[in-house]
Amino acid sequence: MSKRRLFDVLIALLLVLWIAPTIWLGVTSLKSEKNVVTDHLSLFSSTPTLANYSKAFGSTEIARWLFNSVIVSVVSTILTLVIDSMIAYALARIPFRGSDALFIFVLAGMMVPFEALIIQLYLEFNALGLINTLAAIVLPRLAMPIGVFILTQFFKEIPLALEEAAYIDGAGRWTIFTSIVIPNGKSALVTVMILSFINAWNDFLWPLVVASDSVKYTITVGIANFQGTHGTEYSLIMAGAVVASLPLIVLFLAFRDQIVKGIALTGMKD
Amino acid sequence: MRHNHNARDALLFSLPFLIVYLAFLVLPIFYGIYLSFFDWNILSGKRFIGFLNYLDAFKDDKFLSSLLHTCEFVLISTPTIIVAGFLMALIVMSSSKLKRGAETVFFMPYILSITVVGTLWSWIFQGSFGILNQTLLALGLRTVGWLTDPKTAMWSIACATVWWTAGFNMILFTAGIKQIPDDVYEAAKLDGAGYFTTLAKITLPMLRNTSILVLILQVIASFKVFGQSYVMTGGGPYGSTRVLVQYIYETGFTYFRMGYASAMSILLFLIILFVSIFQFAAAKGEGK
Repeated sequence: MSKRRLFDVLIALLLVLWIAPTIWLGVTSLKSEKNVVTDHLSLFSSTPTLANYSKAFGSTEIARWLFNSVIVSVVSTILTLVIDSMIAYALARIPFRGSDALFIFVLAGMMVPFEALIIQLYLEFNALGLINTLAAIVLPRLAMPIGVFILTQFFKEIPLALEEAAYIDGAGRWTIFTSIVIPNGKSALVTVMILSFINAWNDFLWPLVVASDSVKYTITVGIANFQGTHGTEYSLIMAGAVVASLPLIVLFLAFRDQIVKGIALTGMKD
Repeated sequence: MRHNHNARDALLFSLPFLIVYLAFLVLPIFYGIYLSFFDWNILSGKRFIGFLNYLDAFKDDKFLSSLLHTCEFVLISTPTIIVAGFLMALIVMSSSKLKRGAETVFFMPYILSITVVGTLWSWIFQGSFGILNQTLLALGLRTVGWLTDPKTAMWSIACATVWWTAGFNMILFTAGIKQIPDDVYEAAKLDGAGYFTTLAKITLPMLRNTSILVLILQVIASFKVFGQSYVMTGGGPYGSTRVLVQYIYETGFTYFRMGYASAMSILLFLIILFVSIFQFAAAKGEGK
């Protein structure tokens, strides 16, 4: 038994170590600018303050960046779900010549590193006159091959009988897609929704490239820029980082099991 | 069932995805290959130079050092992240009461954005007021230039990365362990095998496929490293943490050498393609 206790203590120590940086993030954000450099090590500031948060919202563009991130993430998640589920339906349920080839063509996209496309994409969006727009941040992220993969696999499992019954009632493909496939594919759609939202919210390199005007920053780019503009105001920077993370932490705690399942299913990073 | 409209319906349902996919993924690949054969500074005109950009890259000290730093990061971070992720999976799959909490705590950093992780760890590693150096001082030890000493900077960046992404690999390993049939373990138990024997003789060998997947994904992810060094060191000190993606970014958007930046992008693409093909070969070899 004592061996088991020892194991538990070790795990507990490891957990404290792993959660410490996040706690430190929160603690620093509640310290006054003066306290940050005087009582470095104290976990709980004697005078916790929300001043950094009001300063972050009052004298920086953080509210604007949050708004941009929400728009970008919500819009790209919805559009990704629509286009990914449509092609997944075609691949899973419509027999046509070239179906396998199309599937492989789509999956091959998973091997393409987005990082190797930024120069060309920038020039492309420049030609389209879309530099410094939220649309430019959204568009290249919409076609998500891993989403097509998950949805196709899932749609294949929906019983054929449901579809046949609808055919007999004279339903067209679009009706079948919206009234049978979508409701039955809910759990896969939730997985893809979460993956897409996390990707969009945390995307950094592309928004950095395409949004040079601070009004169009997403929160990730804004926080990266904080260091340049507020160099030593650590508590303010940490408050900004908390604001940037809170929506995702809430999402994570709410959908923990789906997120874990989604990751396990895909084994894909972005 | 109706079959007469299959091809038309399939096309209509695929079209929205295909348009976006072709415009923003397939086209840029070919456009990049095309551009890589030109000397093109955005201010001047395009000039066809054949493979010169590629040859230049291998004579460019900055490119070579960026490639070297990237490889350095891959070599430091990959084994650490994989081992950490595996140990986490063992904890999550153990019978400890803490296992569910452990899964949450270990995975949580992964959902933070790289800029949050970068700013947070810059603060932890901060030279004069950061908690690490303050702790060292309190213990009467000498402080370390975590992000300011060229010898340690890449290690510090790798450390932050381990914290950020080990939980991702934990999920993959956990899923792999769950697929090992229970009766295999029960049989081992009946034979009197202890924990470490079972681990070495059953868990590890049966995780071979998962391990290959994790390894390849991790190597690919590490080759694409950018945000960490961009936020934490800006590529410094003295360019010691400048990685490939950052050099491509700088070449394109600071020096506007679009042709040269494209050529380096294609090289990055080829490296990652090579790793992916290696993955398929390894996975296929597994089937025999």
